[in-house]
Amino acid sequence: MAALRRLIGFVPGMVQCARQGAGLHRAAIAVPLMNGLLSRNLTTSAENKPTVRPVNPLVQKTLRDFGNYIGECLPKFVQKVQVTTGDELEVLIHPDGVLPVLTFLRDHTNAQFTNFIDVCGVDMPTRECRFEVVYNLLSLRYNSRIRVKTYTDELTPIDSCSDIYKGAIWFEREIWDMYGVFFSNHPDLRRILTDYGFEGHPFRKDFPLTGYIEMRYDDEVKRVVAEPVEFTQEFRKFEYSTPWEMFPAYNQKAQEAAEAAPEEKGEGEKK
Amino acid sequence: MAGLLKKTTGLTGLAVLPNPHKNLMVVYDKILRTLKKMPADTAYRRHTEVIIQERLGHVKAEPNIAKLEARIQGGQIEEVLLQAEKELSLARKFLQWKPWEPLVGDAPPNQWKWPIGRDM
Repeated sequence: MAALRRLIGFVPGMVQCARQGAGLHRAAIAVPLMNGLLSRNLTTSAENKPTVRPVNPLVQKTLRDFGNYIGECLPKFVQKVQVTTGDELEVLIHPDGVLPVLTFLRDHTNAQFTNFIDVCGVDMPTRECRFEVVYNLLSLRYNSRIRVKTYTDELTPIDSCSDIYKGAIWFEREIWDMYGVFFSNHPDLRRILTDYGFEGHPFRKDFPLTGYIEMRYDDEVKRVVAEPVEFTQEFRKFEYSTPWEMFPAYNQKAQEAAEAAPEEKGEGEKK
Repeated sequence: MAGLLKKTTGLTGLAVLPNPHKNLMVVYDKILRTLKKMPADTAYRRHTEVIIQERLGHVKAEPNIAKLEARIQGGQIEEVLLQAEKELSLARKFLQWKPWEPLVGDAPPNQWKWPIGRDM
């Protein structure tokens, strides 16, 4: 399946050819009309949604096919495959499958995601497994990107992928520091961004914006002292929720549309 | 003779192969033997066998290295060998991981729901 590369590589060209083909066909009938028609069509279609990036259906289909291919090859670990924002392929996996899925994506001839972009964490405290861990990979061979997502809670460790991608070592330290997600088999899991002796994980949603400890220079003891944060005024509770919908309505619709096709496939995989 | 004329692959740490056909056939043979140990209906085995058989066919049919690279469409022949070696290590790991088995566990409800609704 060098098809993935071929399709992605030649997509703009094919679209171009299609347009030219239509144009040439018309040109035989009326040459002066053709340019006007073609350009008017293009501008009107562009004006409809000026700020939204156009989606190339061919790229989307290729990504969806490739996502299904991954799901087919690794039915044990892939829970769901989706294409978001038009052309971003996401593979949602069970936390046990981090190593197999990432190894597959790096080593398989049709994937070759040899380039590790980053790992990051997401915290959503209302969920049963509150942390998401997101891996972003790049395949230079096929000029393609992929996002792998998995989940965990405060206590469950996740397999470190530092054996597969050396570049992950610092990123996993960062997630450990900021969110407190534990990575098993990590060669050097220490804090990386916070100060010496820092306590807590500052990117957790339940970590207060002010922190717990404040530092100041004390003139009497002639050094910097650390003390618990003190306020001259009590915390005030604000009502943050607005009566308006904060997420644009199309966001939800686009998400549902993107899920429609792979989900059918996903049902098949679970058998 | 092309192998003698080629001085470098231009890629760090990747040396020019004097006799790539021989190396490739050895590795492809190993991959196919590893794949035979998997259950016959697994998707990974089917897809990989197709890829490897296709490439092996090209290697057997085309003695000229430049033309072979053009036919395989996987970069330089040294890179193709590297891909084959990675595929071999992957197939061997898969024999332990058995990724063709049914799903290990479903995600908790609403784990993949986005945006988070008010009902959560």
